[in-house]
Amino acid sequence: MKHFDVVIVGAGSVGVPLAWQLAARGLKVAVIDQEASWGRGQNRAAIGGVRATHSDPAKIRICLESIEIFSSLKSKYGLDVEWQPGGYLYVAYDEATEMQFRSLLKKQKTAGLEIDWISPEKIARLAPGIRTEGLLGGTFSPYDGYASPLMAATAFHKLALDAGVLFFFNRRVESIRKADNTIISLTAGQEEFSAEFFVNAAGAEAADIAKIAGFDIPVFPDCHEAGVTEPVERFMQPMIVDIRSDAESGNYYFYQARTGQVVFCITPRPQIWGRDKDSTSTFLPICVRRMIELYPRLRNLRVRRTWRGMYPMTPDGLPIIGYPDMAINFLQAVGMCGQGFMMGPGLGHILAQTIMAGGSHANPAGATEYNFIFDEFSINRSFDHAELLK
Amino acid sequence: MNRIENHPILQSRKDRRQIRFYFDGDEIAGFEGEPVASALIASGHHVFSHHHKDGAPQGLFCANGQCSQCTMLIDGIPKKSCMTPLSEGMDVRTLYGLPHLPAEDEPLVQAERRSVRTDIFIIGAGPAGLAAATELGRMGYQVLVADDKAQAGGKLVLQTHKFFGSEADCYAGTRGIDIAHILEDEAKRHPSVTILTNAPVVGIYKDRKAGIYLNYESYLLVEFTALVVAAGAREKALHFPGWDLPGVIGAGAFQTLVNRDLVKAYRKILIIGSGNVGLIAAYHALQAGITVAGIIEVAGRVNGYQVHADKIRRMGVPISLNSTILKAEGRDKVERAIVAAVDEKGQPVAGTARAYEVDAVLIAAGLSPCNEFLEQARRYGIMAVAAGDAAEIAEASSAMYGGKTAAMDLASMLGKKIIVNPEWETTRKVLASRPGDSYERSPVVPGSEWRPVFFCSEEIPCNPCATVCPVGAIQLRPMHGNIMDLPYFEGNRCTGCGSCVAVCPGLAITLVRRIPGEKALADKASGDKASGDRAQVVLPWEFNADFDIGTELDLVDQKGDFVERAPVVSKRRVSSRNTWLLTFHVDIAHASKIAGIRVQPQEASAFQSAEIPADGAADTVLCRCERVTLGEIVEFIRNNKVRDINQLKSLRVGMGACGGKTCSQLVGKAFRLAGTDPAEVEPATQRPLFMEMPMGAAVNEGLHKLGGKEAGARGAP
Repeated sequence: MKHFDVVIVGAGSVGVPLAWQLAARGLKVAVIDQEASWGRGQNRAAIGGVRATHSDPAKIRICLESIEIFSSLKSKYGLDVEWQPGGYLYVAYDEATEMQFRSLLKKQKTAGLEIDWISPEKIARLAPGIRTEGLLGGTFSPYDGYASPLMAATAFHKLALDAGVLFFFNRRVESIRKADNTIISLTAGQEEFSAEFFVNAAGAEAADIAKIAGFDIPVFPDCHEAGVTEPVERFMQPMIVDIRSDAESGNYYFYQARTGQVVFCITPRPQIWGRDKDSTSTFLPICVRRMIELYPRLRNLRVRRTWRGMYPMTPDGLPIIGYPDMAINFLQAVGMCGQGFMMGPGLGHILAQTIMAGGSHANPAGATEYNFIFDEFSINRSFDHAELLK
Repeated sequence: MNRIENHPILQSRKDRRQIRFYFDGDEIAGFEGEPVASALIASGHHVFSHHHKDGAPQGLFCANGQCSQCTMLIDGIPKKSCMTPLSEGMDVRTLYGLPHLPAEDEPLVQAERRSVRTDIFIIGAGPAGLAAATELGRMGYQVLVADDKAQAGGKLVLQTHKFFGSEADCYAGTRGIDIAHILEDEAKRHPSVTILTNAPVVGIYKDRKAGIYLNYESYLLVEFTALVVAAGAREKALHFPGWDLPGVIGAGAFQTLVNRDLVKAYRKILIIGSGNVGLIAAYHALQAGITVAGIIEVAGRVNGYQVHADKIRRMGVPISLNSTILKAEGRDKVERAIVAAVDEKGQPVAGTARAYEVDAVLIAAGLSPCNEFLEQARRYGIMAVAAGDAAEIAEASSAMYGGKTAAMDLASMLGKKIIVNPEWETTRKVLASRPGDSYERSPVVPGSEWRPVFFCSEEIPCNPCATVCPVGAIQLRPMHGNIMDLPYFEGNRCTGCGSCVAVCPGLAITLVRRIPGEKALADKASGDKASGDRAQVVLPWEFNADFDIGTELDLVDQKGDFVERAPVVSKRRVSSRNTWLLTFHVDIAHASKIAGIRVQPQEASAFQSAEIPADGAADTVLCRCERVTLGEIVEFIRNNKVRDINQLKSLRVGMGACGGKTCSQLVGKAFRLAGTDPAEVEPATQRPLFMEMPMGAAVNEGLHKLGGKEAGARGAP
């Protein structure tokens, strides 16, 4: 049997930064993953956007922390993850959308987010060539940005390795041993791992892991496809989000990476529930049509590759963070609803602080100020308020 | 212009219209419809872009639409110059760094989705795909074949040499270029078969559809029941310092330039690898009037057919065994290649380095199957079979049989009750055979009657000589009971017709006889065997024969060593084989030793001795698209404990325009150097698109711009 202070299930967007933060604070940490290496679940399928532009204050707080971490990886640790604070631009081409965005602004600003309404002229300067006909304006949050999910996962893995984290790949969790409602150990790849704390950071597999531990969590993956183009000289700054829906798709979003590629993703309509990672013939024509309608000059940009990944969704679009009654030392950091990449680093930073400050089932935030996060994202909440900027 | 005007086998392309276009603002000439890359190389331009990362020059590499190294700005838009047909007034520019996206901001007027349905979708119209289409068409299936090139036939269209194999099974003795037409016509004879050219498949999707980037301008989805992957192979690369210089290209790429586009691309080349592809490339170069400094082979024996290798040696091209290329050098393109002998460990041997002044290095390091389509289909649970090189790397003759058997397999998977001819699979296997044993032949003494002499001593799947002999005087001597057996002259009925000489793909048969009367005269004069005894020898010649009778040529033995210089006494063209038969009068003691005619002088393979360069492998780019060096990759693997190829994407390795097609078979080296067994490393995951496609094409915006009618006529079924 191997013994650790903390055993984390999932070497992805959430698990790896958390492992790093814990090990950096002196804990002995193991990370277990069924994949062959880090970030091979949904992290690699992320398109790379990092925004604090949410409607929920707890998410805003977590992502502001993430932005702080992403923007300092290079200066502090010499690790380039191609972070680019290009900002997030939510465009409005109809009054209802404008109203919706404007109504959120105050709440967002109160939560500490730098964001404002900008004019079509300003938008055209940030994204030259974008369709201005019918454009009413949009919200722009200049400190949001984007980074390479592959490079970020590798950077956090490297930081974790250097901090002494042990990774166990190609291992599936087979069983979990409990005494009353406390987990004693888990077995993965025929090896038993015991610890004081366990963390479920299993992303799209989170509900399966919870089930092995004897409880249910409402995390249901749905599938999204994404794509990347060839690189061209940078011509646009922000991540552009168009939240309108049409008959075959919901919102879609795209940005130009620091290295010149345009990365894009769309929400299919109806949503496709499940874990299918196979590419469909429908994605590209649907997504590309909407992108060229919005940004005609993209017509000459060559698509290089497409892929598909899962959003581990919860009923209300908010994560689940906390210690369940059925497994009181099994911290759940799950249900990121497709935002694990942007929330993971901030969440890891916050959760590591709570654990070090005595966080537990009885008092999850310990001696920290983060009670509001555990309240907001409680596993026992009613799940009936939808997040507006999912 | 560097054009091949007078090719001995290929018709000069008088049909091509000469047009003017612009390269970096200068007006130059090219042929309408030929690839932009070929037109530029014909005009002596080899540098097409400078990489955005380090400004390194880049040029043509695969000439096959796969690697994207030839990307240039064509009418303002970055495009692969090897796949873009030249048109009048085209504005072609060197690409410096990343391209600017043109500000074409007029709104999208019309988006359209186009799809067709077929029973069987075949990727690739090469020998395997066409053979499969013929069989499936015969059975009445609706078949759609898509090929990324402008012409059906696959790599057959590059093959000016006569094929090995058996005449009855696979048109042996016929040139590949002609077989391509035969196979295409056979497939098209079935009304349910449609062949789309200029139709690269960019994706296979879960919903049993394939996406075609049709005519490189629109997007056609094909819904199908079952799939045949006959996409052929791509050339393996070799990683050595300087391999990223323009002028280092695949041997197949070279054949494309020379045999398809009739571009005399280089002055003098060095070939790395002695497999059949490397050997044939040497032959193609000589036919094109390009000097071949030599063939370099790291192994201790020739990798291709012995008979091919001997033929190349006889033409005057030395093959250096146990040797390797250490470096290609030059400012913006190859000017020099440094080669050395290697020891058992593969290390260069001191004092053996030599430098060749060449302007191109051809890589003929073998082929790897284009299996991404099959992998994708299998992953998605789509009914699919592979045929030809996509299934197993072998000769085109074997691919034809692979196509037939794959068609049968597919039909039975589809529930059709069929009786498969078991001989097909046997034939396919025989045709795919590696060479067998070698036998020494007994010396031949020329008599007063004609007889053939065979310089074919290694078992390979080939029998045209035995089938063309009108009097049945050539027989395979049964060891295997199939076409691997060697031919022998049986009896004394040879009429000297020369059919066997003209048909032999290895140019390994001659005819000899004592000059009639000479013996009698000699006997009379001396009553003894006279030193002046003469014989006639008939040799095949696949080059231009525009010399006069009486011209003296160097005649050589089987391995290319000089035997005698003798005048041509007669020449005769066997037009059905497109081959000359030249007759020489030689010393009778030499007659049955003489196997061929030297084509290039010995000075062609001259070199200077050189120093072994410092080992620069670590500093040499391994990922060409993103210009990541071997050393950077090794360091990354060590630092991050990488056991998964996908993690190299953090370095952008495999994320470039080629999608890992070039580097994926080279990265094993990096893992080995980092101390990791490549067998323990998780392989890379494949994702569509398999070829880049503009967004505008994905929504068929171009069809609207072109006017739907015209576009519809340009190939959509």
